[in-house]
Amino acid sequence: MRIAAPSATRQNLLCAVTLGLVFLTAPFPRIQFVVHVLLVLALAPRAGSPLAGALWAGAAGWALEGTLRLYPHLGGTAWADMTLALLAGWMAGRWPLEGVKGWFARLAGLLAAHTLLVHLAVRLASGPHPWGFGWLWALVSLPVWGWAVWRLMYTGPSPRLG
Amino acid sequence: MVVHRSKWGWSRAGWQRLVLILLWLGHGIWVLLGPYPGGHWTRLADTLARPSQHLASRWAQWRTTRKEAARDFVETRAENVRLTAELAQLRTQAAQEAPRLAEADEAVRLLGLKRQIPLELKAARVIFSTRPATYGGLILDRGRDLDLVPDQGVLVPEGIVGRLWSVGPTQAKVLLADAPNASVAVMLMRSRATGVLQGLGSGRALIRYISNQEVVQVGEAVLTSGLDRVFPRGLLVGYVAEVVPGDLELRVQVNLSAPLDRISTVLLLPFQPPLEVQPPFVVQEPKPQRKKGTP
Repeated sequence: MRIAAPSATRQNLLCAVTLGLVFLTAPFPRIQFVVHVLLVLALAPRAGSPLAGALWAGAAGWALEGTLRLYPHLGGTAWADMTLALLAGWMAGRWPLEGVKGWFARLAGLLAAHTLLVHLAVRLASGPHPWGFGWLWALVSLPVWGWAVWRLMYTGPSPRLG
Repeated sequence: MVVHRSKWGWSRAGWQRLVLILLWLGHGIWVLLGPYPGGHWTRLADTLARPSQHLASRWAQWRTTRKEAARDFVETRAENVRLTAELAQLRTQAAQEAPRLAEADEAVRLLGLKRQIPLELKAARVIFSTRPATYGGLILDRGRDLDLVPDQGVLVPEGIVGRLWSVGPTQAKVLLADAPNASVAVMLMRSRATGVLQGLGSGRALIRYISNQEVVQVGEAVLTSGLDRVFPRGLLVGYVAEVVPGDLELRVQVNLSAPLDRISTVLLLPFQPPLEVQPPFVVQEPKPQRKKGTP
């Protein structure tokens, strides 16, 4: 059973809220990274609208680097985010979702690719830098935020909520 | 799906795709520029300009080397000219001072001889030489003004010269030992045989009255014997040049040691000096080498 694409309004609204959370969680880098990954890999990609997804992902990347203020040359994370968002959107159009397990697996694969690409892009843009453990926090918390996005975007509100 | 055509003929999706590509490429290029965007252009320019910089460096180095070589050459030439002029000046100065130096050397040698002979010696300068003439001699610049009298012995560091023949108020004439009319009492150094030296001219003389029984060797030193009361005993006269046995006596020919042609300053012995003084001209005889095993 193929899962239908979420509505664009809801998706953009969720992206805007999450982008705000990226700014708001700046004092907590680990949480901020998880929110950032959530926005880039789960919320921004959209099969029929790559430009919107790239813009949201780029904004997430600029917001993350801008609030971190650690790198001498910003833009590496934004470029990696845009690339991964385009890749995820393409995958969503090429291989439509068929269940939550596939969704989690896709997110895990995209998270690994995102980690590598972000590190490479930041290294190109700013030079050598530590790996950090943001990717680990994002991977550990993936079932939480992946399930949340799944419920908010693809399967609607919980029957218990109403 | 409704396709909206723009006024330039592009669809909305096309424009969105173009913007997306530009956005992605722009970000990628911005990332690839790295932390110091100017550094890429600088490195690129350096790489492109490296051959020309290498050539320019070689060209500048070649020019510098050439300039230094030219400067060194000019400086060397100038120094060569300066040294040549300085050398000519020094040669002229040396030529001018050569007589004085020779006279000074002669004076030093005479002073040394004067210290060796414990007699009151007087010095005089040769102002003229009549040696080429028959019975010629030397003319000294001092005469009775220095209390000189005839028959005073005349010598130089190399040996005896002759005796005073005549003394004027301010000049004196020397009868050289190689003059035919000169005679000096001499003795052979090794055999101690005495004789009378008579001049043969040209720096040579002949010893008379040496017995045939005497053994005289060529090269043996000839000293004054002091018997003529003109020279004390032991002053060097010359060396035996040739020994020819005669009927009654040996013909011993002697080369006088004093350079009679090149004398500029002489010392004068006192009139009738003592017979024995410390001989300064005695030549050290080489010790005979003993054979091994002999006491």
